[in-house]
Amino acid sequence: MSPRARLALLAAAGLALLPGAAATLGGLPAFGSRIAEYGARINALVPGERHVANMVSAINFDLRGLDTLGEEFMLLAAITGTVVLLRGRRGEGMTDRAMRRPGRAVRPQTEAVVLACRVAGVLTALFGLYVVLHATVTPGGGFQGGVILASATLLVYLGEGYVGWRDAVRSHWLDAMEGGGALLFALCGLVPMLVGAAFLQNVLPLGTFRDLFSGGLMLVENLGVALAVTGGFTQLFLEFMEETRAADGPEEPGEDSA
Amino acid sequence: MSALLAVLFLLTAASGTAVVLVRDPGRQIFAIAANGLVLTLLFTALQAPDVALSELAVGVAAVPLLFLVALMAVRAGRPEAGSGGDEA
Repeated sequence: MSPRARLALLAAAGLALLPGAAATLGGLPAFGSRIAEYGARINALVPGERHVANMVSAINFDLRGLDTLGEEFMLLAAITGTVVLLRGRRGEGMTDRAMRRPGRAVRPQTEAVVLACRVAGVLTALFGLYVVLHATVTPGGGFQGGVILASATLLVYLGEGYVGWRDAVRSHWLDAMEGGGALLFALCGLVPMLVGAAFLQNVLPLGTFRDLFSGGLMLVENLGVALAVTGGFTQLFLEFMEETRAADGPEEPGEDSA
Repeated sequence: MSALLAVLFLLTAASGTAVVLVRDPGRQIFAIAANGLVLTLLFTALQAPDVALSELAVGVAAVPLLFLVALMAVRAGRPEAGSGGDEA
């Protein structure tokens, strides 16, 4: 198709879609106006019904818990697909050095970088744990806290280098965390059925409003999500980092350990 | 709409445009991280702290890292160390 024909097709498609787009844009609520119905009802109902202060967590883990279960398995499938794709080409062998660009000097970390990473890594991990544990009280939750925890492991790479990172981050543990988290969430759906309740029904004691232990079953589901996201994202980082691993073969001359 | 929101919208537009206009992939990754940081501030200003936390963790840390590693793997995998600024 020539560029002119492509442009003509684009223009025709744009013209055809224009009325619908204009109608949709015209029907949007004005900027800053609140879509009050759902939010107001959630705000009125949830503190009494579920004893939870963070409405987003209440929706994610309880009112629309089934959606989150689906997202959980989407994440699992996506990470599994990435691992299969990347590891399939590379295999599971290990060498203890990273690939390096020819002609580019690799300097060891300075002591300042190592110190900063050790301090910041611990603080980041603590903050991630805080975000995970306070899911039902303050903004955040298993997903956000899990990604923060996963990015804390990256500071190991920055501070300790490739070999330290490979020593610290073990793939099998990540597999177990990821699968175990998803399993925990699925069990949160199935176990209530054993006691005669509905799938994902919140059967645990709800606790005290604005307390760390509030929300009942939400806390367990949140833990499952945190485990799965921490394991999944760290696994993703690990698999991508492994793409920079030096090949086992001797065909790359002039390398020594990183 | 407050002045803060107006400034943040302008910054969002500017940083988003920068991601497109920067042609060197290495710099583009940092442009996209800056864009994520601006979006985080915007979501915070719009009172969506949950979304802001997600954007901060995913858009500023995770995605740029994956891009950086992928870019490094592509460049290191090539036999000759070219300038590598054209493919993207």
